[in-house]
Amino acid sequence: MMSSIVADLYLFFSHHRPMVFVATLVVIVICALTFVNLDLNENIESMLPDRKTATALNFRLLQQAPFSRKVIINLNKQADTHGTELVKITDRLAATMTPPFFTRVVTGPGESLSLEFFSWFANVYPSLITGEDIKSIEQKLTAEKVRKALNELYAKLLSPEGSAMKNLFQVDPLGFRLNLMEKLRFLNIIPKMRLENGHFISPDGKNALIIAETPFEITDAERGREMLIHFQDLIASVVPETISVSMISGHRYTLANIDAIKKDIVIILICSSLGIFILFLLFFRSFGGIFVFLTPICVLCIAAAGVSVLYRNVSAVTIGFGAVLLGISVDFAVHVYFALRSATSNPSEAIAQVSRPIVFCALTTLGAFGVLFFSSLPVQRELAVFSIIGICVALILALILLPQVVRRTQMHKYNEKTYNKTKFQPARKWVICLWLVLLVTCAWHGTKLHFDGDLRSLNLVPDEIRDLENTLQRTWGNFRGTAVVFAEGPDLQTALETNDRIFRHLTRNPNSSRIVSLAPILPSLKTQELNRQRWNALWSDGKKEYVNQLLTTQGKSIGFKSTAFEPFAKLIAGPTPPVTVAALRTIGLAEIVDTLIIDDGKNAKVLTLVPDTPEIAALLNHSDFNRSGIQFASQNQFRQTISKAIADDFIHFILKASTVIILLLVLLFRNLKKVVLSLIPVVTGILFMIGVMGGLGIAFNLFNVVAAILIIGLGVDYGIFMVTKISQGLDAATERAVFVSGLTTIAGFGALVLARHPALHSIGLSVLIGIGAAIPAALVIIPAMYRKKIKISDE
Amino acid sequence: MKPVIIITLVLFLPAFVLGQTGSEKSDNQNRIFSEIARSASQVETFSCDFLQEKHMSMLDNVLISKGRLYFKRNNRLRWEINYPATSGFAVNGDQAKRWEGDTGRTQTFKVNQVPFIKVFTEQVFSWAGADFKRLKKRYHIQVLSETPIRLMLLPISPQEKKYLANLRISFATDASYVKAVEVHEPDGDFTRIQFLNTVINHPLNDSLFN
Repeated sequence: MMSSIVADLYLFFSHHRPMVFVATLVVIVICALTFVNLDLNENIESMLPDRKTATALNFRLLQQAPFSRKVIINLNKQADTHGTELVKITDRLAATMTPPFFTRVVTGPGESLSLEFFSWFANVYPSLITGEDIKSIEQKLTAEKVRKALNELYAKLLSPEGSAMKNLFQVDPLGFRLNLMEKLRFLNIIPKMRLENGHFISPDGKNALIIAETPFEITDAERGREMLIHFQDLIASVVPETISVSMISGHRYTLANIDAIKKDIVIILICSSLGIFILFLLFFRSFGGIFVFLTPICVLCIAAAGVSVLYRNVSAVTIGFGAVLLGISVDFAVHVYFALRSATSNPSEAIAQVSRPIVFCALTTLGAFGVLFFSSLPVQRELAVFSIIGICVALILALILLPQVVRRTQMHKYNEKTYNKTKFQPARKWVICLWLVLLVTCAWHGTKLHFDGDLRSLNLVPDEIRDLENTLQRTWGNFRGTAVVFAEGPDLQTALETNDRIFRHLTRNPNSSRIVSLAPILPSLKTQELNRQRWNALWSDGKKEYVNQLLTTQGKSIGFKSTAFEPFAKLIAGPTPPVTVAALRTIGLAEIVDTLIIDDGKNAKVLTLVPDTPEIAALLNHSDFNRSGIQFASQNQFRQTISKAIADDFIHFILKASTVIILLLVLLFRNLKKVVLSLIPVVTGILFMIGVMGGLGIAFNLFNVVAAILIIGLGVDYGIFMVTKISQGLDAATERAVFVSGLTTIAGFGALVLARHPALHSIGLSVLIGIGAAIPAALVIIPAMYRKKIKISDE
Repeated sequence: MKPVIIITLVLFLPAFVLGQTGSEKSDNQNRIFSEIARSASQVETFSCDFLQEKHMSMLDNVLISKGRLYFKRNNRLRWEINYPATSGFAVNGDQAKRWEGDTGRTQTFKVNQVPFIKVFTEQVFSWAGADFKRLKKRYHIQVLSETPIRLMLLPISPQEKKYLANLRISFATDASYVKAVEVHEPDGDFTRIQFLNTVINHPLNDSLFN
């Protein structure tokens, strides 16, 4: 029935050919214009599971981590350059980094973080004191310890800095500030950094650091390139040759990737065009053949326009992946083309005959892609819509338009004998045995396949940037790879209370050595009040008078006036001011405060940076720890989750797609044997792909999933055509069509294996292996197995 | 008669200074700075004893210390206190080391890491190199006396004003070296350092600064 509808349509449109061409042309032009003007969304978030899932939340939190969006600049001086020169040049370069390219440039906390800072802290110390501090202070309150401290203090007054430190000595004669130094340790956001002249300087004194912010999005390649060129100009005009400057930012990765893709596209286009041209010369050599190769372009335009109607903001990834998937659309056209060219009777009959397997193929492919609707990744759901529209369009173009273009007058040139001469018919038993051995080997190697969820590994990282990352890490420590614990609250105080809880929990554990937290110097007001109560309790029961007396008498004997330590007496007697964000900003800690506090007025977050280790993750996930108001964002955890999501998605996809395809095949063939045989190319292609990748230790990533879909879609098509051909006695054109469509796929997508870019290379490799295995499986294994069965049934 | 002259001078010297026109003052200053620069340019090394008096409101008595200062061109300096206790520091380029005689503690560090050492060495090196361009950026410089030269430096930055009211520097008659420095703080405390037995361009062993 379906065949007769197709035949009738052919006859109907053959009488209205100009109208068909004009209507098709109008539709394609409109769709092409829509496609060109499509507003593509380049946000990588569409490649992550849905917004409400933990993975998406983790991703968004990681975006808020310090340094994730900043420009990091390292200045390295040569051995013979004077130390102060490095700081001078750093300042000079930082001064030239102005808007619109850079909005905020930091070279260090500044020189204000000096004496005034300690004097201020000595005054607010009671608000920060912990139980441990109290124990340490109590030990210093004996006559002997007080005398020793005052003697040391007297000796320090002789030094050049003695005069400048006298105010600090008066408010803190017993050296409580040493406990403060311990608290400041938790503010060291760059592990191997030391401060010189208020600048970030490496331990060997050879490197200085500039941390800058830019308004340009990391994905904005054009502005990113402008910024990099501008920065190079600044270096040329400001920095002498004795100092080398290197920059790391997301923009450099974007540009490296774009440049690599551009170069790759040239190579791929040349190779793939050459391949397709050779195929054209070998198998088409006609005007109608050109239309076969134009089919995927038309399908891409129409599908893109279609998906833009349903989705306001189409993901660039959907279009990119979709373009790959719609490579499948050429196959329908190839089959129609060869069916028409080999037709000895009326073309409508040839179309009718080939339409059945083509519609079968389209239905199974639609079924396979339809499974993507159930994916947790928005991009895959978008991809489902895109592919389904594309497949339907490809079907219409192949069955209705192409037969009108490939006129029968062009068809007689085809020489069946040429193909039959090259027909390969090896010994069936040996072929099947060899095939089975290969399948088992691939399945075994496939068990070694690992899933790589690191989105960064899909990017091209040039050696220069990789070396720079390594140098930065060696010089400054791994400050860009820390995990982040977010303490959230409706206001800052609530978030700070949660932050206190996090800090207490983490520091209780010996594994949590390198934590960056504001909690020791900016506890919540509640904690500060508790600290002050603790401080006041320390000086109760006459302890205050006793220590004041000690300071007076012991000080007098050394040479201090009796009033010398009045500021200390006031501190232990009077009220203490609270530590606030504003106060920390004033004394020179604005940078660290702004790095670790995100407060938009509606919601506040206080960040704690922790080593990205399983121990810390386990510590935060411990059942005893109350995690309310706490989010943990870790690159490692994120990678693991994405890996698992990809693996789960892949397995689910394979299972669901297989089920749908098998059900459709059962429905279409109503013969189990044919169903199993049709699946041979799919099983072979997939097993070869995972086997070779597993055996060679190549990780399976998101792009390989897309390639796997292509292999499934094409593989089942090859199977259907071959089974239909054998069972219905179609002519040799079917084998030829399968062979040619396989070769076009390899020429079109296998050429991607030549790409330097990991994502393109991944797709190319998978397609090359998968389709490379599926074609011989369809052309050799199916006939070998099916013919045998026919013989048995004949007997 | 003598006291009258002194009183007259004290009363009218400021008026005399103020009475000068801007360009006269500037010319005068430049001449003095040139003189200091000319003398300083001939100094490769110097060493001297010093006597430091700290007048601090928190102490009953003036804190007196004695020691020795060594200077060599290319940013080398040694400041050692020998009385009442031994301590000090040595600077060689951007590297520095300090020691405390009683405890035997030594510490090696970068000059830029310790603000006080940095400011101190900057002052010594600026004067030794007669780097008036740099000094003028940080201080308003007044000439208190021309023979021998005495200058007063008033800090410009509000940050520095918190710790320093003024610096008074007295030169030797031939302006070849600094004879005394007074550091006055905003609260009235001050430190006076007198440099004695100065020896210029005598060879100094590099090990002194390491």
